[in-house]
Amino acid sequence: MAMTQNPIIDIQGLTKVFRGNDDPAVNGIDLQIFQNEIFGLLGPNGAGKTTTISMLCGLFPPTSGSVKIYGKDMRNELGTIKKMVGIVPQDIALYPTLNAWENLDFYGHMYGLKGNLLKDKISDWLKKLGLEAAAKRQVGTYSGGMKRRLNLIAGLLHSPKILFLDEPTVGVDVQSRNVIISHLTEVNAKGTTIIYTSHHMEEAEQFCTRVSIIDYGKILTVGTPAELIASVPGADTLEKVFLQLTKRKLRD
Amino acid sequence: MISKLLATVRKEALLLLRDKVGLSILFIMPMVLIFVMTLIQDAAFSSMNEKGIPVVFVNEDQDSLGFDIRNGLMQNDLVELHDSINGKPATAENIRNAVSQGKFLVGIVVPKNATKAIRNHVASMVDEVMASDSTELAAAKRSADSIQIEILIDPIAKKSFLVSVTSTLREFISEIKTKIMFQEFSAQMNELIPDKTPTPSTAYEQSQFIRYKETYASVSEDKLIPNAVQHNVPAWTIFAMFFISIPLSSSIIKEKGEGAALRLNTMPSPYLLLVNGKIIVYVVVCTIQFYLMMLVGLVFLPMLGLPRLDMGSHYLSTLMLVLATSFAATGYGVMVGTLSKTEHQGAIMGSLSIILLSALGGIWVPSYVMPGVMRTISSYSPLNWSLTGFYELFLRGGGLGKVGPEILKLILFFLGTMSVTSIANRKSRLT
Repeated sequence: MAMTQNPIIDIQGLTKVFRGNDDPAVNGIDLQIFQNEIFGLLGPNGAGKTTTISMLCGLFPPTSGSVKIYGKDMRNELGTIKKMVGIVPQDIALYPTLNAWENLDFYGHMYGLKGNLLKDKISDWLKKLGLEAAAKRQVGTYSGGMKRRLNLIAGLLHSPKILFLDEPTVGVDVQSRNVIISHLTEVNAKGTTIIYTSHHMEEAEQFCTRVSIIDYGKILTVGTPAELIASVPGADTLEKVFLQLTKRKLRD
Repeated sequence: MISKLLATVRKEALLLLRDKVGLSILFIMPMVLIFVMTLIQDAAFSSMNEKGIPVVFVNEDQDSLGFDIRNGLMQNDLVELHDSINGKPATAENIRNAVSQGKFLVGIVVPKNATKAIRNHVASMVDEVMASDSTELAAAKRSADSIQIEILIDPIAKKSFLVSVTSTLREFISEIKTKIMFQEFSAQMNELIPDKTPTPSTAYEQSQFIRYKETYASVSEDKLIPNAVQHNVPAWTIFAMFFISIPLSSSIIKEKGEGAALRLNTMPSPYLLLVNGKIIVYVVVCTIQFYLMMLVGLVFLPMLGLPRLDMGSHYLSTLMLVLATSFAATGYGVMVGTLSKTEHQGAIMGSLSIILLSALGGIWVPSYVMPGVMRTISSYSPLNWSLTGFYELFLRGGGLGKVGPEILKLILFFLGTMSVTSIANRKSRLT
């Protein structure tokens, strides 16, 4: 990855302290993410991954620090930034009593898509992710894997420049996971930068171009999977690197 | 922006149409409520009129007063008169026990020689007037006895009912007593002045020259008659319209819980646009709900023998008041949904507050019978503003000029709830 490029996401001293908590959930993170990366944000439960992604999506403001996306400051140009990003949250963010088509039609409109363009995109994505036959079924009747795939489409429909994925493959079978990962790779190849969190170290090792390991709200290390494996003596997988850095103690 | 708003409206409409429980709360529950409440109140009202209060009567007098009271009560629609208890004649001894056991609501005992005592009283009055010296005057005064008619009331009767029944009976008995006294006095005078033209038999009726005319003060040319339908249909419709806050707040909380709100917050669409989609759908639902409930009063209640609802003649003013009420109810639901953390919390907060606001607003008990402090509090309930407006339109025959202040208050209430919603939403995103 060409680090001499200007970062498309520039994070400086990002901190979040939730009301009633003395310990910061995110503690002074500095991070740069570049065009077309698949950047993995890895860490144990409660490490601060989701809080970081939530701040990057504009769900809540940081307590301190700054975030610039494509040179635009999040504090002043949140509306413009929101048009450029897509999010696939950890929880299934769909209406269970609407069918797949109705869900996507609504979310598409909210991103400013309409008419035939929207119809074509919905039809195309449903076909790609194997949901075409179930398009008119209420989402509440879907299997976990189908919901995950539809959740992914809802974040991708408007072809965002940056896609935030918070554990997109959690709780799905191998087949669904493969379909999701292969389509994400295809999206990335077409120019979308992906920021991704996961507990699947093997998946992250194969999928990400660069990863950072985060714990207690701080970044412990950043690099390509190969660089990180090489940096830890005796480690031959990303999982071993992860365990070395975050220790084996149980988390929340 | 319009296409986003339309998409939000379509989504809300679909969510609502597929929420069978929510729909039943919105439409079936209020219709059942109107049927039940109107029938109960009408039945209670009718039973007083058609069947009457069970009264046991003991006539120990066996003379004019006793017979006239008995005949008068027999002809009174308010009273269901009984002379016997468990097949045995009612007596001064067994009547108290029967009333205390709840077999009758009221017991009346006219004592022995009551008519004779009235006659003696009149005679002594005449003697008093005609007395020529102090010895005759003292003798006249001695002969005047008092009588005591006993009215027994079941202890379960409410004080307001007791006052109403005893006042009516006192007034009724007093009139009979006056009539007997008048007749007796006329007879005495005829005896004392033989040359005088005899008093005609209708003299007493002719002496009743004060008449009372009771009409409802309505500015409408049509005669609007208050009844259970006129009062209950608008009252329970307003209650149902505000009850919309439960499915509405539930839909907002579900959206938060199901993660959809999270995704929506990351989208380039303002929060108010998303809320407006909900408001449009629910205001339409409230308006449909209102006219459906009116249909119950116009068509279905008359089928059950109840009076037909009269909606007055100011249809545009009615529509404006309906829309203002719908906005107030919807705004309240959005506020409850935004402030509640869980569906359970929203349901409790929504239902309890609506029941409280409706009780304060005069839906259950008219605000004019409330104590002074409660009447003041009642005037701050949005349900009271709406109810006052509909009574103005449906009962007093008023128009837009009269309901304008109520419409304004409801719209201001809606704007207030939107401000709270907006502040609460902003605050929750800043924590």
